[in-house]
Amino acid sequence: MINIKNVHKHFGKLHVLKGINADIAEKEVVVVIGPSGSGKSTLLRCINYLEEPTEGEIIVDGIPLTNEANINKVREEVGMVFQRFNLFPHKSVLENIILAPMTVRKTPKSEAVKIAQDLLVKVGLADKEHAYPEQLSGGQQQRVAIARALAMKPKIMLFDEPTSALDPEMVKEVLDVMKSLAHEGMTMAIVTHEMGFAREVGDRVLFMDEGRLVEEGTPEEIFSHAKEDRTKSFLSKIL
Amino acid sequence: MNFDFDLIVRSFPLLLVGAGVTVQITAFSVSLGLLIGMFVGIARLSNTWIIKALAAVYVDFIRGTPLLVQIFLIYFALPIIVGQRIDPFIAAITACSINSGAYVAEIFRGGIQSIDKGQMEAGRSLGMTWGQTMRHIILPQAFKRIIPPLGNEFIAMMKDSSLVSVIGFEELTRRGQLIIARTYGSFEIWLSVAFIYLIMTFTISRLVDYLERRYKIDDKH
Repeated sequence: MINIKNVHKHFGKLHVLKGINADIAEKEVVVVIGPSGSGKSTLLRCINYLEEPTEGEIIVDGIPLTNEANINKVREEVGMVFQRFNLFPHKSVLENIILAPMTVRKTPKSEAVKIAQDLLVKVGLADKEHAYPEQLSGGQQQRVAIARALAMKPKIMLFDEPTSALDPEMVKEVLDVMKSLAHEGMTMAIVTHEMGFAREVGDRVLFMDEGRLVEEGTPEEIFSHAKEDRTKSFLSKIL
Repeated sequence: MNFDFDLIVRSFPLLLVGAGVTVQITAFSVSLGLLIGMFVGIARLSNTWIIKALAAVYVDFIRGTPLLVQIFLIYFALPIIVGQRIDPFIAAITACSINSGAYVAEIFRGGIQSIDKGQMEAGRSLGMTWGQTMRHIILPQAFKRIIPPLGNEFIAMMKDSSLVSVIGFEELTRRGQLIIARTYGSFEIWLSVAFIYLIMTFTISRLVDYLERRYKIDDKH
């Protein structure tokens, strides 16, 4: 579904990604872990071209990311959830969700609203469609953000530290929504520090450090039988 | 000194006609300036260097030269190039809009830059184009924030429009000059002119306050 080939990314002098190769299969849930500054968020952002790789190739659902038209096509198929939610503050919850389907997919309003309402039920916020983002808690905002991404009926969902900006008691409600998505067979790439979640939901775990993919394997392999010292030392600090 | 109140009363209708013209120039210039400013402000943030450079040259040129000189350029110099006399009204509005556009562009640029980068990223990640995201997400939010500085710019424009009196265009200031030339009532007429400007700018600033408050309430819902 996603093929990442020898991707490098420089920010000025900073070499953030140093030749990443990875594939994500359909319906696979891949969790990317690693210390901050290891390049995991940058890698995720390269998949929908919010960051342009300096070198290398990324193919999403058979579409190579080469020109503006392709990039927009890929973005229609790839939903993204951000650490800081990035809801549109001047629009209601419902408007946040129907905007992209209506402008990009040209979905008629009545249909877009129907889709949005169904998604709100799914993320447990059916009663909030007329609320505005600032009236919601962080956990609720993030669930709206997930619904907003899902409204485009993406084939892949990217999660960039979706629970890092949340109060602890709100983490679970967001993870639960992500869990149910995983169970429905959504292809997902998740950057997170929630190791329990990674272990439970992830099909595969990638460990990154200093711009390199150090080790990958099943959650069991990474969390219980890591081969690389770098992985072991990272996990020993956080588990 | 004897203060001729009757002169004020007699001149007032004429001055009001001038004030009407001032409002007209201001309204046209501000609307066109807003349109120019929005596009130039966005162009200043373009990734294409040529668009960015052109916008910067425009803003620098306008802000770096006096409006009076710009009016002269358009009214006296431009006809030499195009080989045709330019109507004072057209010249006045052209000069004022082009001038206002440069200042409004900077206001828009600042407003757009003040919107969190995550908003553009969220829009783009949903498959919306840069233009769609600008239109639906960035500009509506930026616009709320730039209402106060836009209000200042409009008030400045209303006052600066007095400069078009130099090309004989009969707005408020020019009317005042003409009446004084006939009646020698400098004190009474300039006082009246100032008073009328004050009423008009005061009205705009109240209007801006109202808009600002309304959008603030809107923000809270």
